[in-house]
Amino acid sequence: MQDNLKDILSHLTTDIDQETLLLYLQDKLPAEKKHEVEKTLAANEFANDALEGLQQVKDKKQVAYMVEMLNRDLKKKVEKKKQRREKLKLKDQPWLYMVIFIFIILIILCYLIIQRLMQHS
Amino acid sequence: MNADKYHHISDQDLLAKFHADHNNEWLGILLQRYTLLLLGVCMKYLKNEDEAKDSVQQIFLKVIQELQKYKVDYFKSWLYMVAKNHCLMKLRDRQSKIPAELTERLMAAPEVETDWNALVQTDLTLEMMETSLKELNPEQLQCVTLFYLEKKSYQEIAESTGYNMLQVKSYIQNGKRNLKILIEKKLKVK
Repeated sequence: MQDNLKDILSHLTTDIDQETLLLYLQDKLPAEKKHEVEKTLAANEFANDALEGLQQVKDKKQVAYMVEMLNRDLKKKVEKKKQRREKLKLKDQPWLYMVIFIFIILIILCYLIIQRLMQHS
Repeated sequence: MNADKYHHISDQDLLAKFHADHNNEWLGILLQRYTLLLLGVCMKYLKNEDEAKDSVQQIFLKVIQELQKYKVDYFKSWLYMVAKNHCLMKLRDRQSKIPAELTERLMAAPEVETDWNALVQTDLTLEMMETSLKELNPEQLQCVTLFYLEKKSYQEIAESTGYNMLQVKSYIQNGKRNLKILIEKKLKVK
């Protein structure tokens, strides 16, 4: 009894994993586990709000798919930024500067040679 | 990066890794942990599946941008606040009314509360709890007792009492809050 009383006021572990929350949402948990989840939710405002919202989704089976799609999109976003950064890094490579420098020198040399030739003719 | 591979790393450590090498993939792993919760919060406020999905994507972007600018100490509560504020802004745009419920407290630390974990270890608090429980209104007393002491689920409580699930949830939450207030008052008197 006293141990149970402690549960009312203690700050229990308030983290809940997404899979458990999904199972709870789809009513696939046994009563005991359901109670555990609800106890966690009662101490976790974020998850509690989320559950209230998720319960409004018409087709609960779609929730996992929606999350999967959002995660894929997120992954693309962070990878895109990484690729862009890597491209920028590429520009920082010293050999690239060397190639550009040599190319400019070659153009100048060509210009000078052509000018000389034209003067002679 | 495979998110499952990193489940043993805490949110704070993922943030530290991001700040060390500025690789956004760390933020991707971190945010994936909260996709379901963000979707739920957006659904709660916006009540529209498409709008909720769009909002989650916008929140992801906002978080990625904001975390480049400054460090956040309490990621989970910060993220929750970002999500709520985003939804309330959307509602404001929709209704052109400003809900006064929330203020911008993005960097706020979680509220400092009484250390109940320490308090419940004392016999005095437990005695107070037993007497305070009886001071709750009958609905709250019934639901709190069934939930915390008899370990019934919301559904079981709803079935045995005749209340609906929302009422059960609300009686438990309000009962718990009132119980805390009652005990705090008694502790002050002592």
